[in-house]
Parts: sequence; C-alpha cells; structure tokens
Amino acid sequence: MHPSLRLVSSFLLILFVSLSRSIYFLAVVGTYELVVMCLMSGPKIAKVLKTSFVASLFAFVIFLPSALWGNWPGVLAVAAKVLLSVAAAALVSATSPWSEISRALSSIRVPDIFILVLDLAIKYISLLGGLVLDMLYALKLRSVGRNRDKTASLSGVAGTVFLKSKEAADEMYAAMECRGFSGTYRVAVRRGFSARDYVFIAVNVLILSLFFFLQGA
Amino acid sequence: MIQLRDVSFSYADAPALAHIDLHIERGEALALIGPNGSGKSTLLKLLNALVFPQAGAYLFDGEEISHAHLKDQHVAKSFHQRVGFLFQNSDAQLFCTSVYDEIAFGPRQMGLPESEIEKRVNDSMRLLDIEALSPRIPYHLSGGEKRKVALASVLVLNPDILVLDEPMNGLDPRTKHFLRDFLISIRASGKTIVCATHDFEYVEGVFDRAAVFSMKHELVRTGAYAEIIGDRDFLMANNIV
Repeated sequence: MHPSLRLVSSFLLILFVSLSRSIYFLAVVGTYELVVMCLMSGPKIAKVLKTSFVASLFAFVIFLPSALWGNWPGVLAVAAKVLLSVAAAALVSATSPWSEISRALSSIRVPDIFILVLDLAIKYISLLGGLVLDMLYALKLRSVGRNRDKTASLSGVAGTVFLKSKEAADEMYAAMECRGFSGTYRVAVRRGFSARDYVFIAVNVLILSLFFFLQGA
Repeated sequence: MIQLRDVSFSYADAPALAHIDLHIERGEALALIGPNGSGKSTLLKLLNALVFPQAGAYLFDGEEISHAHLKDQHVAKSFHQRVGFLFQNSDAQLFCTSVYDEIAFGPRQMGLPESEIEKRVNDSMRLLDIEALSPRIPYHLSGGEKRKVALASVLVLNPDILVLDEPMNGLDPRTKHFLRDFLISIRASGKTIVCATHDFEYVEGVFDRAAVFSMKHELVRTGAYAEIIGDRDFLMANNIV
C-alpha cells in the first residue's frame, strides 16, 4: 500500500478522534483498527495493543483526580481517545518500515533535508545507545565490590560518547561526499496508486464522513 | 592515472604523510602496507579528495586535485563517480533506512533516472549476493553484510578506481575469502585497486605491487607485491609482521 496514504490516514484519524464528541464515531474507529489488526501477525498485534493500552492507562491515571470529582464520562472519553490515537500511530509503525515512512514524508512535501536529519537521528540513537551500553558494561566489570561513587564516571561516559559521535558524524559526511553528496539530499518518491490504495481511500473517506454524520447522534 | 609528487600532510597535532612520491597506473592493484598510524588511511583520504596536500601535488589524469578545483559541483561529482572509497568502519558509510536506498544513494546524488538506478542497484546486489537484504535496515546487519552493502554502494557508481581501507578487518574467514575472490574478479575487469591492508593471508593473488610506509610516515619501498611480502627481514624491521 502507498506509504503516504497510511501516514495521511492515521493523521486524519487522530485529528478526527480528538475532535469527536460522539461515542459512536469512536466505536467505528475502534472497529476499523481492530479489523486492520486482524490482518497482522500475532506479535505485531500484541505490540500495538500493549503500546496503546499503556498510553491509555497513563492518560487515565493523569486524569483520575478529575474522575474523583465526578467527571467519569470525560475521563473515560480521554482514555478512549488516547487508546485509539496511539493505536492509529502504532499501526502505521507496525505495518511500515521506517524507509517507507520517510518516503511518505517526502511525498507529502516534508523537506528532504529534514527527512535526512530524522533518518540520521534514528540511526545514531541506535548506534550510540549500543556504545553507551558497552561502556556501562565495561564500567560494571571493573567496579569491584560496592561503589558509592558511581556517578563520577558518568561525565567520562558522556564526554566519550560526544567525541565518538563527532568523529562518526565527520566520517559519515566524508562517506556522503565520496558518493556525490553536495548538500542536496534526494529521497525517491513512489508515485501512482494501486487498486488496494483506492479501496483504502474509500474506506477512510467513509469513516471520516461518519464523523460528520454521527456528530449529532 | 594517479600521481603524488612530494606530498606532505599533517593533522593539528601530528604529521601523517611526509614527502610521498607515488605513481599508480590504470588497471593496477596496489597494496598499501605499514604499521598502525603510518599514514595509510590519510593517503587513502587524500586519494579521495577528503583531505588535500599541504605540500606537493596530487594529479589525477593530469589534473591537479585541490580544494579550489573541486569547488565546482560538476567536477566534484565526476571525480567522486570515478573514485570509489570503501571505509574501514562500515557504520560510517551506511546511513540510509534500507539497504536498497543505501545503494541507490550515490546514483540519486548523480541525478540518474529512477529506472536506471533500479537496474544498477539490482545488478550490484546480485554481484555481491545481497538481494535478500534489500528491505533491511543497514545498521542492524552483521559486520560481513554491512561490508558487502558498503561495497555495493560504492560499485553501483561503476568507479574506475576502487580505494579500500582495511577491507578484511573484523570479517569472518568465509566473508574474507568471498571478498578476496571478488577483488580478483574486479581487478580482472580492468579496475584500478588501491587497498590498505594488514591481512596478508587473505589477499594472496589480489595485488601486483605494494607500497610500504614507515612509522616516520614516509614511503620506504615500492615494488612487486610478492617480492616485498617475501622479504621477512624488511617487514619485521618495519613492524609489519
């Protein structure tokens, strides 16, 4: 399916869910999300549900004082909206690899250089996270007995990670230059829709029209 | 094809290359040998115009390669298309979100049409037997897979010269054998190869000439690869074996 459709659809769903005052519309969106989940593998469904329920529970706890003052319907509505919104985002994340999402961003006119920064941020969170973990393991292995001054090593770890990240950034820029980069990053955009894309558009248009239809219900 | 005339280069705190004179012919396979910190990697960076000589001159097909010369984007792109560089640290070279996009990065920067890019990317993946990796995230691959993807991302531009910095480092024996056979086939196709290496066991049959660096960052000997590798006393004296 066209990645930009998934992205735009989930954005509109989140927007309309947050604007909606109708419990029926929330039920329609919930049903739609469950149908989409049915087409996914077990572990992916578990991941989406876990993420959504944790976020919803967090929202519920935050708004609990309001419920204690008698605003139960409002608190339950917020928790339900958070559940549906996070599920919509988690569905995009579970069904689309990051490479497709970055292409989708490009097709909805997000500047390519901004996408490059996002791509690199994700890469370096993963790489530098691994580096920090290795350094903490090394620190743990060299800490014999009880160490009351554990925080003293943190500045050293932070400094080393900073220097390594600078080194990696310089080296990566050199690698990009060697492959013809001159300041303009080009992301390939998939053009044209397939029959499945048109079915997806039709379903989404139907759901979003129900938003207006069910407002008064 | 490549000529270095009395080239010197220093980093802020230390010299890296001292009075290097070197000539590399088209189609030649040259091994750069020397102890750690002798200047091999700096020389490879210089050949790729990532750093420029502070003294002396670097000539590529008779044209002097300097910062001013490469300011013109067309000249820079054409130069980088002709000289491909495989970094020692593959993580530095892989920054896209899928293997396909990684390999397609160079041709996209060169402004090739998407149909031509797809053909080139598929050819490069087939050549290195990494078609199955196409949708994977590059920085989550194993060391050997990363090296192959990095090599494919260089070869997709069809460079005349392949510059490699310790390509065998950190690879398992099977990948090393694969890479050795691959370099031999690349060489047979007429490409020029310049490679810094320590892994003599796995590069047999790849090189016809070697250039040896000393700890003083000088080029102390150039000659037939087999002859230099056979001279144990010389290699021991220069901290190479």
